[in-house]
Amino acid sequence: MNSLSHLLEALSLFHILLALGGVIAGTVVGSLPGLTATMAVAVLIPLTFSMAPASALILMGAIYTGAIYGGAYSAILLNTPGTPSAIATTFDGYPMAKRGDGDLAITLACIASVCGGLVGAVALLMLAPPLANVALAFGPVEYFWLAVFGLTLIAALSQGNLLKGLIGGCFGLLLSCIGIAEVSADVRLTFGSYTLLGGIEVVSALIGLYCVPVLIDLVATPDRHLKVETESRGYRLKEALSVSWRGKFNLLRSSVVGTLVGILPGAGGSVAGLVAYSEARRVGHEPERFGKGAPEGIQATESANNATVGGGFIPTLVLGIPGTPPDAVILGALLIQGVRTGPNLFTEHGSIVYVFIWGLLLATILMLPTGLLIGRYAYRFIVTVPKALLVPTVAFLTLIGSYAIRNNPADVVIMIILGVIGWILGRFGFSASPIVLGLILGSIAEQGFVQGWKIGVATGSVAAQFFARPISVGIVLFIFLSLFSPILLAKLRARRGFSSAD
Amino acid sequence: MAVVFIVIGGVTIWDTFDYADEDSYAFPRAIAGAMIVFSIVLITWNFIRPQIPDKTLPGSTPRRVGLVIAMLGAAFLMPTLGFVLSGLISFGAILGLAMYDPWTRFRLIIYPISGAAIVVGFYVLFSKVFLVPLPVGVLFSG
Repeated sequence: MNSLSHLLEALSLFHILLALGGVIAGTVVGSLPGLTATMAVAVLIPLTFSMAPASALILMGAIYTGAIYGGAYSAILLNTPGTPSAIATTFDGYPMAKRGDGDLAITLACIASVCGGLVGAVALLMLAPPLANVALAFGPVEYFWLAVFGLTLIAALSQGNLLKGLIGGCFGLLLSCIGIAEVSADVRLTFGSYTLLGGIEVVSALIGLYCVPVLIDLVATPDRHLKVETESRGYRLKEALSVSWRGKFNLLRSSVVGTLVGILPGAGGSVAGLVAYSEARRVGHEPERFGKGAPEGIQATESANNATVGGGFIPTLVLGIPGTPPDAVILGALLIQGVRTGPNLFTEHGSIVYVFIWGLLLATILMLPTGLLIGRYAYRFIVTVPKALLVPTVAFLTLIGSYAIRNNPADVVIMIILGVIGWILGRFGFSASPIVLGLILGSIAEQGFVQGWKIGVATGSVAAQFFARPISVGIVLFIFLSLFSPILLAKLRARRGFSSAD
Repeated sequence: MAVVFIVIGGVTIWDTFDYADEDSYAFPRAIAGAMIVFSIVLITWNFIRPQIPDKTLPGSTPRRVGLVIAMLGAAFLMPTLGFVLSGLISFGAILGLAMYDPWTRFRLIIYPISGAAIVVGFYVLFSKVFLVPLPVGVLFSG
């Protein structure tokens, strides 16, 4: 069957309805804090058992892409990432909402998500087999440096007080050590508590550190949650398209970053968003605007995290190695369907793969009208519902969301305690974002470091292991650029300002 | 607050002496050491350039404390009373804490009904659609 027939099959009424329904369901689930894209896909997988493999893949891909985008709603409107992929969206999304541009932020997130999703899907269509080799080239050391690169974002997020950001980052890294060590299985920092043996669950910590402090301050004053303009401004689509066009290179670069990070097994949308955000800030004309409601920040994170959908399918389909946690669930569903993934999948089962990829492209395009519509209602709900109902509703969502992850009331207690800690630290000028960065990247950094160290010792050169591999060298260069280029650029600007004053 | 982080770092390093494998203690020790160093630098910096902290806390502290107690209460009561009942109780408590408008007859009827609908609605969504086994409660289990 040629490409046209695959496209026509993907455009059948049944597949269009599957794509539409999947995107809507995924968007709604992803917007609820505590419900991740993985859960959204996992819960709806039984629906796919009676379907043809291509149809099943289209439904799962649509749910996945919708869920990744849906996480932006609560990130922007409640400062709580609906999914871990939307962590970096809070950095600029919530400040935009606080100043009355929440509707614009949601529309920007929608456009960026569509762009990122399309780039990821096109990469899957055109470049899957060669890009899969990139996944194989990444070893433990590359993962370690990638985590360090993500951690350099702490410097960017700690404007005004780098020391507090670094302390917060270290605190987050220590939180990631709680429980059973991944490499050597020692029990660490539990102090005899069985509850802590399972470690600190990332989503619970996210909800606690981001949402609970907001609730604590919301309940204390009669002020409105978000600044709201008195006159309705619709979707602000024209404005958002204009901003998106001005930031087209940011969108494209972040989408490519997201696709490449999505290819790396275990990295996921959260790492993609953070890396893309860091790069957008580094190359931006006004990096000081990031973190204060810069639309470019939302563009970078949302395009990157949705690009991981297509990117993650590359190692999943070509190598049978899931690129992201939802891909692991989808891989299981494919095995149940009797589809064997691997390099021959594109040749032996080309009809399945290519119909699915066209279906994923279709679902991503359908995400634009559905995302705008759902986003508008979400925004209107948040700004119009009385505070007396908003606060308990969000508090209840945090309780049920953190419970739903591992069906463990201890996760709820940990979520609340971390929230109180986050609020207290916020009073002393410590931001939650470096702590969350440390928590998410800690296990990746530690595992990569320890494994890389062991390989280096076994091969007789630790230094060569860490500093001589080409990809590692590239990432280390990016780390130095990320850390020192803002300082150098500031000095250059000051010198230019000084010489023009003369 | 930096002193608290020094203490946390010290406790972490102390805990690492019980680990059997060097792979287990290398990373936390390095991070705890870095945290202690950064905290000492911060204390020194604040000593050299003292900043007057803003001690004003706008808003109602009792409401803040009440919110945390209501949420913790729901978490601890969940296994005993079940998700729905503990959720309704905490929702009602937080509703009262977040209410700044005068209670009118309309609000007295609509707000509790809305709250109950939200709690029950999410319970049904999570337990029946997402198949999350929410606790029924010891008091209500067969």
